[in-house]
Amino acid sequence: MTKHLTLPTLLIALLAFACSPAAPSSGSNAETVPEALTIYSSRHYDSDRTLYQTYEAKTGVKIQVREAGADQLLETMKAEGENSPADLIIAADAGGLWRFQSAGLTQAIADPELNALVPENLRQADGHWFGLAKRVRIVAYDPGRFSSEQVDQWLELADETKRGEICVRSSSNIYNLSLMAELITRIGSEDAGDWASGIVANMARNPQGGDTDQVRAVAAGECGIAIVNHYYWVRLATSASQADRAAAAATRIVVPRFPDGRGAHINITGAAVTASTAKKTLATDFIKFLLTNEGQALLTVETKELPILSSAALPEGVEALPPFKGGGTPLETLGENQAEAQRLYDLAGWN
Amino acid sequence: MQRLTPSSVYTGRMLTVFALIFVALPILSAVWFGMSAGGGSTWDHILHNRLLPYTLTTLIVLVLVGGLILAIALPCAWLVSMYSFPGRRVFEWALILPLAMPGYVMSYAWADLFGVAGPVQSALRSSTGMMARDYWFPDLFTVPGLSFILASTLFPYVYIIARAAFTTSSLATLEAARSLGVSGVGLFRRVGFPAARPAIVAGLALALMEAAADYGAANFLGIQTLGVGIVRAWSSFGEPATAARLALVLISIAFLFVILARVSKGHATTRQTSTRWLTPTRIALSGASRWAAFSLCATVLLVAFFIPLGRLLWLSLEVGTGSAPMLPPLIASLVLGLAGTVLALICALSFTLSTWLTRRVEWLPRLITTAGYAAPGVVLGLGALLLLKATGMGLSGAGAFVLLICIYASRFTAAGAEPMRAALMRAPQTLDYATRSLGGRGVRRLLQIDLPVLMPGALAGGLILFVEMIKELPATMMLRPLGMETLAVRANFYATDERLALATLPSLLITLAGLGPVLLLSWQLSKSGRVSA
Repeated sequence: MTKHLTLPTLLIALLAFACSPAAPSSGSNAETVPEALTIYSSRHYDSDRTLYQTYEAKTGVKIQVREAGADQLLETMKAEGENSPADLIIAADAGGLWRFQSAGLTQAIADPELNALVPENLRQADGHWFGLAKRVRIVAYDPGRFSSEQVDQWLELADETKRGEICVRSSSNIYNLSLMAELITRIGSEDAGDWASGIVANMARNPQGGDTDQVRAVAAGECGIAIVNHYYWVRLATSASQADRAAAAATRIVVPRFPDGRGAHINITGAAVTASTAKKTLATDFIKFLLTNEGQALLTVETKELPILSSAALPEGVEALPPFKGGGTPLETLGENQAEAQRLYDLAGWN
Repeated sequence: MQRLTPSSVYTGRMLTVFALIFVALPILSAVWFGMSAGGGSTWDHILHNRLLPYTLTTLIVLVLVGGLILAIALPCAWLVSMYSFPGRRVFEWALILPLAMPGYVMSYAWADLFGVAGPVQSALRSSTGMMARDYWFPDLFTVPGLSFILASTLFPYVYIIARAAFTTSSLATLEAARSLGVSGVGLFRRVGFPAARPAIVAGLALALMEAAADYGAANFLGIQTLGVGIVRAWSSFGEPATAARLALVLISIAFLFVILARVSKGHATTRQTSTRWLTPTRIALSGASRWAAFSLCATVLLVAFFIPLGRLLWLSLEVGTGSAPMLPPLIASLVLGLAGTVLALICALSFTLSTWLTRRVEWLPRLITTAGYAAPGVVLGLGALLLLKATGMGLSGAGAFVLLICIYASRFTAAGAEPMRAALMRAPQTLDYATRSLGGRGVRRLLQIDLPVLMPGALAGGLILFVEMIKELPATMMLRPLGMETLAVRANFYATDERLALATLPSLLITLAGLGPVLLLSWQLSKSGRVSA
C-alpha cells in the first residue's frame, strides 16, 4: 500500500514545496555581514558592475542590484511594499524617477552637500531624486543634404521642406516620450500634436529599430535626418567596428533648440532614496560617491553620458558634441506629461 | 463505472484540482486586476484609437504566420517521413533546430543582416553605385517581415507533430491508397493530411498562441501588435491594469483558436490499432525530385537557423564580447529551466491523466492552460506581483525563485500537455479495454499502463518546455530573485542598449543550451518513428 501511494505523495509534496511561501533569506545574518545596500536599477551596463565593485572595495559595503525596466521595478516595489529590500533607485530618466516619487516610494533628502553638487535644474526640488549624469537629444544629419542651420530647431523638423527625410524610432520609447513631454510644456498640447503629425509626414520610413539604427540609416542614405540621443552617435564614433565609425563619420551632429532660444532637450540618469529603507545614510553616501570625479567617470565611461560635475573627466568621444544649454523646464514635467505624450503620438500616427 | 474508488484516486484528483488552481491563479489575478482597475481615460483612448489597429495587425500577423508555418512545416515533414533523398537522415532531426533560437534574437540577426546599413544592402550599393533611395529591397520591419521571423522560429511545433503523425498513424490507409495508384501530392492531399489534420491543427494553435504573445520581435521591428500595445499601456501610460485588460483581447483570440481546433477536429477520432504503429516504407526519390526535396529542406534550415546563427557568430568575433561573466547566467538559466519544466510537467501530467480518467472537465484545464499560454509574460508577471503583494513578501531569495518557476508552469503547461495528450490519443483503444477488463485502475494503472504510454509525449513535452523556459524573457526579467540573471535577461540588456554584438554571446548560449534538449527530442522522435509494435 505504501508503495502504491508513493507517486501521488511525492507529487503533492513537490507541489506543496513549490507553493509554500519561503522565508526571506536576508535579515537574520545582518550582524555577521558588515553592511549591504540594495539598489533597484533600470541601467544595465557592464561598467556599472565595475562601479559597484569599486565602491565595495573602497567601503566594505556589499552591493546587491536588481536590474529591470523602470516600470517593472516600480510595480515590484509597489507589490513588495514595506518589505522591499530596495534602499536606492537608479533610473535612466526623470520621468521614471517622477513615477517612483508620485507612487510614494521615495523620500526627500535634505542634504546641503548633495544640493551643492547637483545643479538645481537637475534635481527634484524637495530632494526626492538627484541627477547623476545627463544626456541631450540631438539630430544627426547628412551634410550633403542639409546645413546645420536647417536642422537646429525642434519645430522646424516638422516643416514641409523635410518631407521623406526623417528617421526616428518608435514613439513609445522613453526618449521620444520625454521629448514630447517637454514640447507639451513649452508649446501646449495642441501645437505639440501638430508637430508630431508634421514629423510623421516627414518620415522616410516607419519608426523602427533603436537610435543607432537611425544614424546608420542616414549614413546609408535612406534618410537625411536622424533624431537620436547624443551618446548613441558617440558610441558609433568610438566603436570597435569599422562600419560603425564610418557611419558616424558620414554624419554631422547638431543640438536642436526649442523656440525662443530656450535650449536643448535634456534628460538625466538619477538616483532616489527609497521611502522604506532603513539605510538612509548609507544610500545617501552612495549617491555622494557617484558625484565624485571617480564615480562620475565610472558612471559615464561606457554610456557616454555627460557627467554632472564640471570637474569630472569627459568620456572619450563626447568632445565632438557642440556646446548647448539646458532649458529650465522642470524635469518633473517629463513624467507628468508622459501619458499625454503617448496619447498625442498615437493620434498623430507615430507608431 | 468503477465500483469503488481507492483513496489514491482521491489523492490524484486532489492533486489535479490543486494544480488547476495553481496554474490559474496568476492569470486570474491579472484578469481580475485588469477588470477592476483597468478603466479610465487611458483605456478609453486605447479603446477608441488603438484597439482596432492592434487587433487587426495581430490577426494579419497570425494569418500570415499560420500560412507560412504550414507552407514550411508540412512539405518538410511529409518529405522526410515518406521519401528517401540525400540528407534525409540529417534533415529529419535538424529541422527542429530553429526551435532553440528565440524570436527576438532571430529578429536582431536578420535586421542586422538585411537592414539598410547591413552587409547585404551595403554590398548592393557599392557594387551598383545606387543610393539607398534608388532601389526597392524587401523590408523586414513590416507585418510580413515579422511574420517571417515568427514563422521561422515556430514552424518546428507543427513539423514535430506532423512528422509524428505521418510516420506513425496511417500506414494501412497509405498502403491501401498506394495500391490504388494514388501517389505524390495526391497521397498527401487525400490521405496523409486528412488523417493528420487534428494533430496539425493542435500544433498550429500552439504555435499561433506563442506568436500572439510575442513582444520582443514585434517591438524591435516596430510592428504594433496587441503584445506591443499591452507593454505600451504599461510603460508609456504607466497603467499596468490597463495592460492587463488589453491582454484579455489576446486571451480571447487564443480561446478562438482552441475552439477552431476543436471544431476542425469534429467527430473524427482517429484511434489506431496497434498494427498501424509502423513506419511506412519510404519511397526513394529519383532524378530532379531528389534534389528538389534536398533543396527545399536545406533552404528552410539555412534561412531559419544557420544564416542568422552565422551572422551572430560573425558579429561576436568582430566586436568581441562584454566583460560580464557568462557562467552564472548560464547556470541560472539551466536551473530555472529545469525546475520550471519539472513543475509544468507535473501539472500537465495531472491534467492529462485526469482528463483521460474522468473525461468530465477536459475543457477546464484546457481553458486555463490556454489562457496562461496566450497571455504575454509581462501580464503573468503582473499577476504574480499581485499574488506577492497578498503574501506580504519581498521579491528575493527562495520565495522569488519559487514564484518564478510557478509562473513558468502557469505560462507553459499547455506546451507540455499537448504532446502528452497526443501520445494518449495515439494509443490503441484496445489497450484501454484490456486494462479495464483486467481490473487495472488507480495507481497501478497509472504506473503500469498510462505512464509508459505517456512517456514519449512527456519527454517531447518536457524538452519543449525546457527550451521555452530558457528563452523566456518578460516574466524572468520581472520576477527573478535579487541578484540572479539569466542568459535571456543579459541578452536583452545588451540589445536594449543597442549593443547587438555584445548580445550575441548570451544569445548563442541560449541557442546552445536549447540545442541539447532539441537534439535529444529529435533523436527520440527519430527513434519512435522506427519503432515497430
